[in-house]
Amino acid sequence: MSLADDRSPAPRAAPVWRIVFWRELRDHWVGGKALVMILIYTLLLGIYAYLFASNSELQLLPLKEVVLEIVKAAVFVGLFICLIVGADSVSGERERATLEGLLLTPTSRRQIIVGKFLSALSLWPATLMIAIPYWVVLSKGDPVLRPAVLWGPVMGTLLAPAFAGIGMLASIWSNSNKASMLVSIGLYLLMILPSEYSGLATTTVGAQSTGLSDLFQLVNPLGASSRLLHESIMADAPSSRLWLWMTSPILLPAIVLAVLFVYAGPSLQLEVGMRRLRVRPT
Amino acid sequence: MAYSETTPRRTEVLVAEGLQKSYGPRMALRGLSFVLKAGRLLGFLGPNGAGKTTSIRILTTIMEPDAGNFTVDGISHEYPDQIRRRIGVLPESFGLPKQMTGIEYLTYFGQLYGRTASDARAVGMELLEEVGLKQRARSLVSTYSHGMRQRIGIARALVNDPVVVFLDEPTIGLDPRGQQELLGLVQQIAEERSAGVILCSHLLPEVESVCDDVVIMSSGECVASGTVADVIGRTEQNMMRIRVPPESLEDAQRELGTIAAVRQVLPASGMPGWLRVELDEAAAADPFVNNRVLDTLLRAEIPVLSFEPEGGRLQDVFLQLTAGGIK
Repeated sequence: MSLADDRSPAPRAAPVWRIVFWRELRDHWVGGKALVMILIYTLLLGIYAYLFASNSELQLLPLKEVVLEIVKAAVFVGLFICLIVGADSVSGERERATLEGLLLTPTSRRQIIVGKFLSALSLWPATLMIAIPYWVVLSKGDPVLRPAVLWGPVMGTLLAPAFAGIGMLASIWSNSNKASMLVSIGLYLLMILPSEYSGLATTTVGAQSTGLSDLFQLVNPLGASSRLLHESIMADAPSSRLWLWMTSPILLPAIVLAVLFVYAGPSLQLEVGMRRLRVRPT
Repeated sequence: MAYSETTPRRTEVLVAEGLQKSYGPRMALRGLSFVLKAGRLLGFLGPNGAGKTTSIRILTTIMEPDAGNFTVDGISHEYPDQIRRRIGVLPESFGLPKQMTGIEYLTYFGQLYGRTASDARAVGMELLEEVGLKQRARSLVSTYSHGMRQRIGIARALVNDPVVVFLDEPTIGLDPRGQQELLGLVQQIAEERSAGVILCSHLLPEVESVCDDVVIMSSGECVASGTVADVIGRTEQNMMRIRVPPESLEDAQRELGTIAAVRQVLPASGMPGWLRVELDEAAAADPFVNNRVLDTLLRAEIPVLSFEPEGGRLQDVFLQLTAGGIK
């Protein structure tokens, strides 16, 4: 053996998060769960786009509003997909009895959660890649495309980790997938319904929105995103006017990810309610 | 006690002392203590709800005890990560991912135990050969039969070359041949790997035939522990069961009742055609008492279809101890 061979470092094992990430990624994409969701997403977006395109041709909706609605739909449904995949990540393994094997390995539970989180997030870029061509086609070369392709991805990319994280938190704290899904969907509806009602009010009565309604939209990340997209696409507002609406979409992922990676992930247990293991440093 | 990689393997690979656990007001475990030595197979028995699963979950670091302590290979339970490196577990119900082949599954777990992908794959192939699944290494685990799933579960439990292996009901749902083959594999693991193996099972004759030691749990307590022979020797042995044709049951009961050493003769519960013969305590020590009982039936020309002295089997001990009849 040569001296160079003697000096070559021993191969190192991959970090746990990466091992879990690849396995989960494969499970999502080869197993078909992600593909099915993406297929449904594509169909929904296609139908939605077709309806708006038809209405636009009938002069029922201005082009800017068509683009705004399709951008919002693409972003919000994409977030919903991340939420659902996150909500299945731990409680689903509990139900399929595969979690115990994972927890019996001497791996960091935080790293397991990081791997699962990244794989749940992998659906977001896919939804974005599917959505952008729709925006391009529907904008028909209008300058409205520029704020759409800028702010749609920005808001979605900010919120996708938050929604994947919310789903995972519900999953970590639920013994059944049903409970995890119900909690996640309930939270999603709590956020999206007021934002859509506010959106309708903004669309129809515009300047008459009250201070209280603005406050609700400001604290609701989906409401704030909706408002930001409205301001940027419909009103072509400058960035200085948009920053305010980015507050909750920035805060939500920061809070969710902190809870996920600092508290919930490391205390992941086989069953909800089990006491956290006391671990001494070795 | 901190763990060091240079620490040699100990004879006593698992030592549990006074483990307790309660779920709210219900005590699930009331001071479990036992020792497992390297290369020994320990049968962990108890009726449903006796505290077996709680014990296993504590010993595999899934759950923390309320009181008591245990060590694995000398490592205190306060270092669960270090203990997980030294144990292998086949849980009672374990799921397998749908989209992985046998070798991919073992490689994945090998990597989680810190092996490189190539090393984990090599170890995975060796294990598949050991458990008799080498031919199906590249088949999806979702296509495996129940017996094959149990085998790959055992292989997974061995990827880290564990000091202690926990097998929770590995033979459940298997046909008799499958049970026999799997128990042979379990014995092989204990012998060839010098690992301490804890086998939870309801198949008492099989446990009796393969295990060296036994722990019997009842209502969260350890009601017996020791070598299988020792534990069997602790039971009452003043009973026997005799099977005669149904039409001869009454005659047999009458004839046996005339023997001075017989206290009473009753139909054996849950065993049609069988009589349960209880002897006087003094008569139980007489080595010829069985001969006299059989002789009585033969003289009365009653066919004896089967004869079993009760108390000489692990199943009898189990039934006595878990029914509260602790001697």
